[in-house]
Amino acid sequence: MASYIARRIFQMLVSLFIVATLIFFLFRLMPGDPTAAMVDPSIPLEARQQLIAQYGLDQSLWVQYKVFLSDLVKLDFGNSFYYKRSVTDILGDKLAATLILMFAAMIFAYGFGIFGGAWMAWRRGSFLESTAITMALVFRSAPTFWVGIIFIYFFSVRLGWFPSSGMRSPGEEVNNMFQLFFSWDFVKHLILPAIVASLLFLATPLLIMRNTMLEVLGEDFIEMARAKGLKERVILYRHAARNALLPVVTAGALFVGSAIGGQVLLEYVFSWPGLGQEIVLSAQRHDYPLAQGSFIIMAAMVMVMNLVADILYAYLDPRISY
Amino acid sequence: MLKFWKLATLAFALVFFMTACSSDKTDTKEDSYSETEHGEIVPSITILSSTPEANQTQYEAANMAAAEWRKLGIDVTVRPIEFNTMVDRVFNGEDHDFDVYTIGWSGRAERLDPDMFTYSILHSSNAGPGGNNSSGFVHAAFDELASAQRQEMDIDKRREMIFQTQEIIADEVPFVTTYVPMFVQAYNNERFTDVPLMVGEGIFSEWLPYYVKPLADDKVLRVGSTYDLNTLNPLDASTAYEWRILRLIYDKLVRVSLEGAPTPAAASGWDVIDDTTVDVFVREGMTFHDGNPVTAEDVKFSFDFQIEHNPGYFLAFIDPIESVEVVNDTTVRFNLKYPYAPFVNNTLAQIPIIPKHYWENVMEEQGISSPADFPNLDPIGSGPMTFNHWRRGEEISLSTNNDFYHNIEISGMIYRLYGQMEGIMAGLQRKDIDTLSDPMIPAHINQSRGIEHLNVTETGSIGFQFLGFNLRRVPFDNKEFRNALAHTIDFHTIVDAHLEGYGGLGGAGLNINDANQFWHNPNVTRPAFEPSKAREILEAAGYTWDSQGRLRLPAN
Repeated sequence: MASYIARRIFQMLVSLFIVATLIFFLFRLMPGDPTAAMVDPSIPLEARQQLIAQYGLDQSLWVQYKVFLSDLVKLDFGNSFYYKRSVTDILGDKLAATLILMFAAMIFAYGFGIFGGAWMAWRRGSFLESTAITMALVFRSAPTFWVGIIFIYFFSVRLGWFPSSGMRSPGEEVNNMFQLFFSWDFVKHLILPAIVASLLFLATPLLIMRNTMLEVLGEDFIEMARAKGLKERVILYRHAARNALLPVVTAGALFVGSAIGGQVLLEYVFSWPGLGQEIVLSAQRHDYPLAQGSFIIMAAMVMVMNLVADILYAYLDPRISY
Repeated sequence: MLKFWKLATLAFALVFFMTACSSDKTDTKEDSYSETEHGEIVPSITILSSTPEANQTQYEAANMAAAEWRKLGIDVTVRPIEFNTMVDRVFNGEDHDFDVYTIGWSGRAERLDPDMFTYSILHSSNAGPGGNNSSGFVHAAFDELASAQRQEMDIDKRREMIFQTQEIIADEVPFVTTYVPMFVQAYNNERFTDVPLMVGEGIFSEWLPYYVKPLADDKVLRVGSTYDLNTLNPLDASTAYEWRILRLIYDKLVRVSLEGAPTPAAASGWDVIDDTTVDVFVREGMTFHDGNPVTAEDVKFSFDFQIEHNPGYFLAFIDPIESVEVVNDTTVRFNLKYPYAPFVNNTLAQIPIIPKHYWENVMEEQGISSPADFPNLDPIGSGPMTFNHWRRGEEISLSTNNDFYHNIEISGMIYRLYGQMEGIMAGLQRKDIDTLSDPMIPAHINQSRGIEHLNVTETGSIGFQFLGFNLRRVPFDNKEFRNALAHTIDFHTIVDAHLEGYGGLGGAGLNINDANQFWHNPNVTRPAFEPSKAREILEAAGYTWDSQGRLRLPAN
């Protein structure tokens, strides 16, 4: 097991190096000049050239690449051209906001998906089941921003139940990190976007759970449990559902990996100050360090979560060993 | 059925015969044409336009122009490109590789002074790569006036010169203004009244806290915006959005009034001693937000420090300063390198006063090489508002400075960030915010008019959106050609159809529009939308059309 993990980590580092290299050159292939986005066109030429030199953009691509790699080894993504702050700082601020929203959405989606999926397999063929599938697929295929706008319109503007945007009420005083994310005001702002996001994610765990449950329900040990005269609910959740969980866990781990990118459109519609918007803007502004940093973190997260899923698999299913 | 086919064939033959006849006729006409001498075919033109997402109106205007130019026999393509790529190509490109482009200048308060829209964007010295004269306009008489006006300290004489430059530009047409944006905004009329409107800035101007009156018990004014800030360090700020907040925290010697005239702020007055010497009298009894007094030394330090550390944003404004002296406790003398007319309007009205005790040793204390690298997370100024907190990507909170020399009735302001305009509209509707900093789009304007607690305001803009020509290239090097094209822009349709009436009419070479009352020359006549006139002008200038209707350059 240990040697397997070591081998996987080595592979990850090699993949990360390749990803970093690709990202570095891809951004520099885009047409346009980063200084055009950073500097107001009414600023004199000397000021602009000064900036180009300051960011090392007058150096050859090869020199820039070497600097980039040696900084990367030290986990230093450099300073954002646009914000003139360290990339780690900027990502840190926004990453927390995005992850909280994505985790809340995941808890909704996976909590509901796992129980709902099991229930659907049990009630296979009923009218309620087919309605549930249809609804899940409708939300899966409807554009998030559209669902978001509709939800804001009904629950926020019309009914006034939830705030329409942001993470906190205007002027809300916050004195420490705890208050930042663990206040009633924050939770109120979180609910609506988290529900909209979870409606989008719901179909995956729900349908995976339902399908594996159907397989499991045909197994002999279920027959055995029935013969023992156990209650239906006990058979369903204690015996069948536990065995059907495996693929859902995999899907969940991979979901966490991709969650860092957030839901750009969702963050946009709800003015959620997360990372998704920042990534899009940084690419648009030719802010190489910030764009590189966020894409590398995203890639690393997906790889780490893949590894975690593999390890978890071995743990959950004794038949798998490495 | 058979009968029908016979008829159809007959009709077809008839049409064919007639076409043949008429083409015969053209052939004979061609003979007479070939006697007239043709020049080269007018080269194909590419209009680099805004993308429809970035600016729908400019995109439509470019397509409308292209359609008219095609009717004149010119081969035209419209290519929408992304904003940064456009700026890169049009302003920074070494080889000036473009024909026509659409872009705009925003109408910030400091641009009320005509220097920016005269000297900076049209003087020949700014026509190189990186300069603002992107059209490459070179005109000796204009250059002379544009240089002279910025050194003319007599305002009436200067105005006369600016008027003359406007006549030259309207006649030379280096660009055609497609429309003048209008600031239509809204505010909550249940919570606030007496909202001041400033030309070019709308509701969220530096005068907002001075004049606005609260109606409810909660006196905090909440402003929605879609523009995030990078910094609150006045030595690092490089966007108009940052200055909109900074000028509330930091006071300035002079503020430009709602009408555009310089009025005393931290200065109680000033005295222009001669063309290159200006005395400024510092208002007495002012304090910084940390309680320290604002002295003449602080004023001198503010200018010296910013000159020394060269903040790019104000480079043009501080460049003319030779030295700053403290004459006595309340008088600061500015010695200029050369006469600079926008000195009071721009330099004194833009450079923030920063506390000496706070900035003096900031580099040693922080171990940084430039004060621009200082995060300045707790900005201390002497302006009407004091700083509370800034949650990046969320909001900036300010409180009223109760020791300020002007009475302010609101108790604070919150600058609230939204992802998009739709969110701002919902915020206004739900009363989460009281007003907004950005101009509204027509759909939201109409929606706001139907909401009882919102008052809709309209403010003119001194900025403009335009279609620029590359004068370094054929055919735009020809003044008559540009003049002809000026007749092909349908200004009324742009405003009526694409802006739903919320905008001002454009015009050939319209750089200073009537929203800037003092500097706008009302007597300039400009071409109206009249495509047939364009044809006449081209014909008179020796342009010809060949047998295929293609426009050809004058022979010889």
